[in-house]
Amino acid sequence: MSEAGLDLVGVSAAYRGATVLHEVDLAVARGELLVVLGPSGAGKSTVLRVVAGLEPVTGGRVRIAGRDVTEARPGLRNVSMVFQSYALFPHLTVAENIAFGLEVRDTPRAVARERARTAAEAVGCADLLSRRPGQLSGGERQRVALARALVREPDVFLLDEPLSNLDLALRVEMRAELRALHDRLGATMVHVTHDQTEALVLADRIAVLRDGRVEQVGTPDEIWRTPASTFVARFVGSPAMNLLAADGPVRPTGAAPPGVPGEGVEIGFRPEAVVLDAAEGAAATVDRVEVVGEDAYAYLSLAAGPAVVARVPAARRPARGESVRVGVGWADTHVFHADSGLRYDP
Amino acid sequence: MTRPDTRSRRHLALMLAPYLVGLVGLVLLPAAVTLALAFTEYDLVNPPSWAGLGNLTELSGDPVFRVSLTNSLVFALVAVPLRVLLALGLALLLHRRAFGVGTARAAAVLPTAVPEIAYGLLWLWLFNPLYGPINQLLRLGGENGLTVLGRTPPQWLTDPTDARAAIILMSVFTMGETFVVLLAARRSLPRDVYEMAALEDATGWDVFRRITLPLMAPVLALLAVRDVIASLHFSFVPAFVVTDGGPPPYATTYLSLFIYRTGFEYLRYGYAAAATLVMILLTVAAVVVQWRLFRRYRAFYRL
Repeated sequence: MSEAGLDLVGVSAAYRGATVLHEVDLAVARGELLVVLGPSGAGKSTVLRVVAGLEPVTGGRVRIAGRDVTEARPGLRNVSMVFQSYALFPHLTVAENIAFGLEVRDTPRAVARERARTAAEAVGCADLLSRRPGQLSGGERQRVALARALVREPDVFLLDEPLSNLDLALRVEMRAELRALHDRLGATMVHVTHDQTEALVLADRIAVLRDGRVEQVGTPDEIWRTPASTFVARFVGSPAMNLLAADGPVRPTGAAPPGVPGEGVEIGFRPEAVVLDAAEGAAATVDRVEVVGEDAYAYLSLAAGPAVVARVPAARRPARGESVRVGVGWADTHVFHADSGLRYDP
Repeated sequence: MTRPDTRSRRHLALMLAPYLVGLVGLVLLPAAVTLALAFTEYDLVNPPSWAGLGNLTELSGDPVFRVSLTNSLVFALVAVPLRVLLALGLALLLHRRAFGVGTARAAAVLPTAVPEIAYGLLWLWLFNPLYGPINQLLRLGGENGLTVLGRTPPQWLTDPTDARAAIILMSVFTMGETFVVLLAARRSLPRDVYEMAALEDATGWDVFRRITLPLMAPVLALLAVRDVIASLHFSFVPAFVVTDGGPPPYATTYLSLFIYRTGFEYLRYGYAAAATLVMILLTVAAVVVQWRLFRRYRAFYRL
């Protein structure tokens, strides 16, 4: 890592007696946007809350900008957080909401209001300053929450599923704005989401979390192309990657990676890698076809049992009940150990 | 909503009936009779005789009535804020889960659950100037029955000012309902707003002043209105049981006690009805004023 942004070293945390984080190691470089991705209950929000100091650690250290803050109270960590619910103060105007953090830290009122205006301009909500949260739409509240987070120039921004309450179009728009804002500020950000598309689009690096453990950390490309486990492979990508026993009905064609054992491994391939008219393919029947604009997803059951999903151009989609021959090339295939689920590295 | 058909209308009427009978028989009719009686002389023996505005004119010149009116106003002015503040303080203190909090909450509500007469008798003992525990505590460390500061301990039931304080003190501890409502109100405030404040390193005072108080203000206003109405009633039993309206001159004779005495002891029902009328008008005035403030507040916050 270059300069220290945020470091979690062996951090464990518990909630009501149950361990929710198991010795999590994460290093976020200064100016980096790390997305913490995982299903609900994986401990994503706990990671943020531990960094913010809202939740105590049961082990490990938290360092922000090189400073050990493990024992520091939240107010002394110089982090700001955007809550999923935005946590705006309903009785304060937008300007007062944004300036709150400055005013309780005894910044003169005029200075605080001026900086609040600047922050509001940065996220495009300067025209809302005199309104109250009750008068704002979801997207506007989101902007105000962002402005409130960046008014104080913190060392780390923590964003807890900030886009999850927005409708799709707005989410896509805000996602792009968030990324642009990050690039403009050069801020260190940790963004939590369960939405894999959001993670892939937004992140410098993604940390995939599962049951309180870090499953894989890597760039979106690495996560997509070399998933470290079947969990990551199936969690990222929609529909999820097909997983079959290597000695099952679908035999990939072409040159196999060197040394792949014939037993005890699983092969995974994404729906877009499936070929439906392979000469030596496995026999399958089309159960169901979903058309999404230009693409179609064909849900197939192999004659030998397991199900496979294929993505095909909508124009060349098979009909329901049609018989197809499923094939895939080794080049598009991932190999995992069947027992541990970990990626097979030759 | 669709128009209820005849059958369900009959059901509605049937289910409303007990309440309506009670409302008419126990509230509206007596109120109408009181209103009518206010303009008569009536002693329960002879039939009521028309007195016109005579009762009201007499009230305006009656020194005892004036004293009771003042006593009631002072009582409401002092006791209501004290009750609401104590309830708020306890609610903020006891809203978290912690060891002993359940017991403390029960203790805060308990005085309200004690029957009023028993509660009055209990305080009669607590207030006893010689062997009552309050004054025994106050005399700790002092000599010759004086307090540590060399002052005479309060003569709770014999000194006019001390007696008024005693009645207020008694009423302050029966704020259980207010406490319960405020406890619920505090617990319903969103947690993330407080976490937000913690991240900004807001002090406890800032959090109270800038977040808790404004967010709870609508509930507080509502409780204050309710308490003002109620305070005209709950001054009755303590004054009746503990101080008997005294010490002279009428130090703890409140409107409610004045009305009771005038009606049931001096058998002047018409006169008592006129005083009741004044008390009701006063209550209505207080409620209207507070409600207006409250509504302006709501519009302001858009809650």
